[in-house]
Amino acid sequence: MLIQLKGGHVIDPVNKRDAKGDVFIEDGRIVAAPQGREPDEVYDVTGKIVMAGAVDMHSHIAGSNVTLGRQLMPELPYLAAQDGQPISPSPASWGAYATGIRYAEMGYTTVIEPAMIPTHAIEAQVELASIPIIDVAGLAILGNDDYTLELLRDGKGRSDELKDYVAWTLNHSKAIGLKVINAGGSEAFKFNDRTFSLDDEVPDYGVTSRAIVEAMQKAVADLAVPHPPHVHCNNLGIAGNVETAVATIEATQGLPIHFAHIQFYGYGKEGEKGFSSGAATLMDAVNKHKNATVDVGQVMFGQTVTISGDILRQFDGRRAASPKKWAINQGDGNGTGVVPYHYKSKSFVNALQWAIGLEIFLMAEDPWRVLFSTDHPNGALFVRYPEIIHLLMDKDERARWLDDVPEASREFSNLAEISRELTYSEIAVITRGAPAKLMGLNDRGHLGAGAIGDVAVYTEQKNKTKMFAGADYVFKSGELVVRKGKVVRVTYGRCYHVEPGYDPQIKRRVKSFYDSKYGVDPSWFGVSDAITNRRDRFATIPLSR
Amino acid sequence: MATVKGEEAELDSALERAADLLGRARFPVIGGLFTDISGAAAALALAEKLGGAVDHAAGTGLSRASRVMRETGATPASFGEVRNRADTVVVIGKGPLERDPDLIAKLFPGKPGLPRPGDNQREVIFLGLDKVRTPRHVRSSSIRGRASLPELVALLAANVRETRFDIRDKALCTKLNRAGERIRKSAFAVFVYDPAEIEEPVMHTVLETVRHLVLTTRAAIMTVAAPGNGDGVNLCSTWTCGLPVRTSFAREVPEHDAWAYETERLLETGEADALVWIDALEGEGTKRPKGAPTVVLSSSPGRASKGDVVIEVASAAGDHDAALYLSPISGIGMVKAGKANKDKPTVADVLTRIAELIDARNA
Repeated sequence: MLIQLKGGHVIDPVNKRDAKGDVFIEDGRIVAAPQGREPDEVYDVTGKIVMAGAVDMHSHIAGSNVTLGRQLMPELPYLAAQDGQPISPSPASWGAYATGIRYAEMGYTTVIEPAMIPTHAIEAQVELASIPIIDVAGLAILGNDDYTLELLRDGKGRSDELKDYVAWTLNHSKAIGLKVINAGGSEAFKFNDRTFSLDDEVPDYGVTSRAIVEAMQKAVADLAVPHPPHVHCNNLGIAGNVETAVATIEATQGLPIHFAHIQFYGYGKEGEKGFSSGAATLMDAVNKHKNATVDVGQVMFGQTVTISGDILRQFDGRRAASPKKWAINQGDGNGTGVVPYHYKSKSFVNALQWAIGLEIFLMAEDPWRVLFSTDHPNGALFVRYPEIIHLLMDKDERARWLDDVPEASREFSNLAEISRELTYSEIAVITRGAPAKLMGLNDRGHLGAGAIGDVAVYTEQKNKTKMFAGADYVFKSGELVVRKGKVVRVTYGRCYHVEPGYDPQIKRRVKSFYDSKYGVDPSWFGVSDAITNRRDRFATIPLSR
Repeated sequence: MATVKGEEAELDSALERAADLLGRARFPVIGGLFTDISGAAAALALAEKLGGAVDHAAGTGLSRASRVMRETGATPASFGEVRNRADTVVVIGKGPLERDPDLIAKLFPGKPGLPRPGDNQREVIFLGLDKVRTPRHVRSSSIRGRASLPELVALLAANVRETRFDIRDKALCTKLNRAGERIRKSAFAVFVYDPAEIEEPVMHTVLETVRHLVLTTRAAIMTVAAPGNGDGVNLCSTWTCGLPVRTSFAREVPEHDAWAYETERLLETGEADALVWIDALEGEGTKRPKGAPTVVLSSSPGRASKGDVVIEVASAAGDHDAALYLSPISGIGMVKAGKANKDKPTVADVLTRIAELIDARNA
């Protein structure tokens, strides 16, 4: 069936479109304007903004870590709704089903779960498969696991064995890329270390964070996995940590690397309170190092819960828990820390975090390398995205918010002086084109012929919060799934992953390791096509070469 | 095989009868839930459709642990971390070894483990039970006395915190002092318990002890897994509706209440007017409560032939591959079928077909 979206303002920076035009969809894909054929269905979208379906490249939506958060905080949606966040007061509101529905309503059609624990990949994948409408992919976590650390300790950091192990893990978890969370830090925590920086050594292994990240960068590059290592640095959330972030960026040796939720590393230590914006310093480094991409991890005021594989940091963060409860799961590899948190506009530190995130977005010279995220739910729930887009596109809106934060927070950030307003095209870059490209999902994030038929149509409004809260239409793989901001058809999407090759010997070695250390057969946690009863649930994306 | 009121029936007619029974029900409960993750997901979907409740045969322990988690959080360690890195393991009560008689052998294998903090010889302390055999490289001791298990936990907790207490039983006092000192000097002490055996205040005491210890060292709890894939079903319930088992879908928003939505209570009081009882795991079984018209999905239907509708289903991990909670990975893993048998429908198949029949009637 040929569908025509007629007369909209098409924003497609990948294909350099920013003008009135049509978009055609047939058999689930975008097609060029067909000659001599009448469309079967025409949607008159005159005056409306037409973009590709949005791609969220860092949002914790599934897996044993997220469900630990749900177990600790079933009341999260009640508390969030109470402080005005756009979420229904029901524990089900942060269940799998509601996640897919709400994302779709906002025009999102692909979401990446950034922290699959390899031994719990089955849970992550089963949860992902129960999220409707959106396509998904997951990143598998390595870097605090003892197999990696043994290899590095034994001087095999640049060996084929590490590369094979990374490849085996990505295959075994059906992951699209590799995540490294506080490399070495979570393991050091297990030896009772309470701080861990770039050049600190993991006890007993004598391996530094720097060495782990370097080794993973090389392995991923050699494997030609499109998405570079997705790194959560050391010292998250600590005043003065911008130095760590800059040192980490400078240590990347020109190889591709992605830094997650960089806002949490944009902290200086100036002023009486020893906490200030380090955004300018950070962005100077990001702007210079063209091999690096970042996502922001924007903070918004209100109740949320933080969920992270950085158990060292989460343990430290427990003191600020609100409500006062926390869970630290000391699991295999990274484990998970869950700490509820309430960001307050009247808090000097929280307001500064909020401002630093916006500064980062607005100081980016190249929006293709500074991507949209809140690190859901860590900086804010994903339901807040429309408000963030509003803040980025409207300096008057920022000024209104700035009026509400402590004067000291304004003083220690540069946000008030920034007049930049992101354009629709730049929003399409940071929420569509760039994340799709960075994940190697080349068939989406744009509206070129051959792209997947994921399209979001919005009614232009001055109030961008309202505009992006509910799309007029959303097409997922060519099917109309949202109309007037509400889901009209519940479909189920696909999970994308990579299949880098490896020497089969690694299977024997990993099996022997797990048998001897854990009494476990790795087949128990391997993700097979059969974990869902939907044919074609899994799809492989091509490697970079 | 299927039966309706004890008479053999075709699967299709048994499904129709089940759909009749459940479609008419005002408030059905889906219980037992000895099933895999697919079965649990289908049960939750059906309960939501019917406005009924879900429970698990091990719901008491699961609900307790869930409530403690919601109230104060928790500090669990994975089985692998305990096996490799704990220098002191405190086994609380008889429950853990009743659940898994080989637990000690699994936690203290003869093979060298991963690097671990500290250099203490590994030790297991049995609290409230006699010593069991431990491998030669592991020290062991037992703390028993006339005190009850909750009292022993409280006394040990006080001792760990070096809080003064006075008891007449000097032998017990000596043991507690020794254990308290050992735990304080441990690099990684882990308290193992079965949530089905100890009550919430006792769990709070243990967790508070861990929270005290982690101020200066490493410590954790480890709970033994519930029978019947209880932990897996509970996780599935949580990611589906945000709440653990013993949740009702009768109102607009799902409601969890460990007392109100217990299967037996719902049947005894007549609040539930229909039961779906699921008992379909290889090597495990659970006893069906009585009190309402029932649809039984069982992999050993001989055990439940008097139900109103009985449908024989494939056993998870016996007849078909199954995602189940596996203790050694402290999470959900995949277990291959012992001998694949595709003739019998799975729990998920049956529940999905019943849901479709009900939909068709309501259409």
